[in-house]
Amino acid sequence: MEFPKLTRRDFLIRTALGSLAAWHGMSWLGCSKPLPITETFIAKIRDYSSEIGSTILSGFKELKISKPEIQGKRILLKPNLVESHTGAVHVTTHPMVIRGAIEAFLRMGADRVIVGEGSGHCRDTLRVIEETGLVDVLSEERSSFIDLNQDDLYTVVNSSKSSRLKTLTLPITLRQTDWIVSMPKMKTHHWVGITLSMKNLFGVMPGIVYGWPKNVLHCAGIDGCIVDINVAVKPHLAIVDGIVGMQGDGPIMGTPKYAGLLVMGRNLPAVDGTCVRVMGYDPKNLSYLRDASRKIGPIIENRIIQRGETIKSVTTKFELEKNIPAHKKLLG
Amino acid sequence: MKDELAISLRNDLWQRKLPELNGFSAMPGGHYRTDATAWAVMALSVAGATQDSLRSSRHHLAMSQMENGAVSLSPDHPDAIWPTSLAILSWKDSHEFINFLDMATGFLLKTTGQHFTRMPGIPTGHDPALKGWPWISDTYSWVEPTALAVIALRVSGYEKHERTQEAVIMLMDRQLSRGGWNYGNTTVFGKELNPMPETTGMALSALAGLVPESQVERSLNYLNNYIDHAKTPMSLGWGFLGLGSYGRRSGAAENKLPECLNRQGKYGLYDTAALSLVILALCADKGLVDFYKESHGIS
Repeated sequence: MEFPKLTRRDFLIRTALGSLAAWHGMSWLGCSKPLPITETFIAKIRDYSSEIGSTILSGFKELKISKPEIQGKRILLKPNLVESHTGAVHVTTHPMVIRGAIEAFLRMGADRVIVGEGSGHCRDTLRVIEETGLVDVLSEERSSFIDLNQDDLYTVVNSSKSSRLKTLTLPITLRQTDWIVSMPKMKTHHWVGITLSMKNLFGVMPGIVYGWPKNVLHCAGIDGCIVDINVAVKPHLAIVDGIVGMQGDGPIMGTPKYAGLLVMGRNLPAVDGTCVRVMGYDPKNLSYLRDASRKIGPIIENRIIQRGETIKSVTTKFELEKNIPAHKKLLG
Repeated sequence: MKDELAISLRNDLWQRKLPELNGFSAMPGGHYRTDATAWAVMALSVAGATQDSLRSSRHHLAMSQMENGAVSLSPDHPDAIWPTSLAILSWKDSHEFINFLDMATGFLLKTTGQHFTRMPGIPTGHDPALKGWPWISDTYSWVEPTALAVIALRVSGYEKHERTQEAVIMLMDRQLSRGGWNYGNTTVFGKELNPMPETTGMALSALAGLVPESQVERSLNYLNNYIDHAKTPMSLGWGFLGLGSYGRRSGAAENKLPECLNRQGKYGLYDTAALSLVILALCADKGLVDFYKESHGIS
């Protein structure tokens, strides 16, 4: 967990919130120690032809991600490429957002930036990168793609124990990179309510061990597995593609929802909590985020310093489906 | 040209063999994998490699077989049983491994995914009681492992076995109303999901000759339409194998498969399974089941 350096403004805000807010944050979770404070960055972006790389660089600055942190490092970008539909911009992370991230990391001095995904539904991952247009971006940026479903493996003990899994088997690429960046799509989801940067890491779990779909994780409990995977993988950053998201019956069959946003942050529960608020809902109604807030980072508003746009100024309600139980829970 | 290409690919595959392990990795420089080894043996055999040259790889696969007959991904992952069907197909061409093959088919016949009676109000549209095979032990049955198991059982003489017959019903139950298959869900919360060419090709390969063609016509149409703009080895490979199983393979395969190989400059090197699938699609014009049956005189 990173503890950001506080500016005078931040200090005053925190002081004003006072001990009541701090007590509230602790008592809600039943924690014995104060929750950490972290930062997220929200930027408005008009469309996919905008200067996304520059916006991400601004986000780095706001989040105090410095050149020495990135210089010479190997970066793994993990977009959501669950399955492809030619021309559908709301299903997968847009290649222009991935391009923006590649450009930004290279400008910060990264040694190399690779893109990896273990598609959850498609066995033919190359088809997904072809049909989404990502393959052309990778070719132009001279970046490479790795199918995390087919990678060599390593296994770790499941220390988080939110699910019943005793171990987690991961692709070796995670160990061979210095920074892991979760790059999800801002979407509703029919099993867990909303899917963002934490749920996106299901895509690092190799299909050769977990199946297509990753049914081992479903059987062990999706919510618990989301937290376990994030504790094990320890991602460094999230960049959420909320330019065109998905509402309704996500993660595949929903409809496009324009939000015109990019949301970034080092702490994934905080980023996801912020996104859920932007989408018009309370993150405390998402089981995996409640659990994550005890183990990984905060989701309550007074523990997240908001950089860039305010949540209020960009909130746009994502529609839910009445017949989906996970959506009913989201409504509290 | 087809034969020349198959020989060239065969040579490419040989170069991937791990000398100390007599097997294959998914990608050059990677670790030994049972599935990659099984795929490579199948492809090399089809492309004319001598049985003697494949003996050590088949033997290594046999040494990976567990006591229950399953061939898992690796000893570290005994629940990942899905390579068992691939191992059966890789042993099929050699009498020397008949005992291992029998143990593996025995395992498939006594193994299912998790199944349960359909309850009112469940969000998925398919019948969860119909037995197929899972990727991983103690999870649900899905299209690809079921299709591969049906192919493996059919070419091993179990076409009329009740498990094969039920799996055929299961696969038909998972066919999408507008044609094609995906990983194995038809509708969720009342919405029909999208088909995928690779799983459609696999399911069609498994079902060929076991169901009236009219019952899969919509899937053949979907695949036939898709294949014209398919570019990747898995979609093209399974696409042509699936269409070939029904005599619907056009001459496009002759051009599209070599073009697909050239795309490695753009996509990066193909994994062993993908390369092997291209060889199989090149050589097995009438699909996998017919190819194995004809080469072994199974009616």
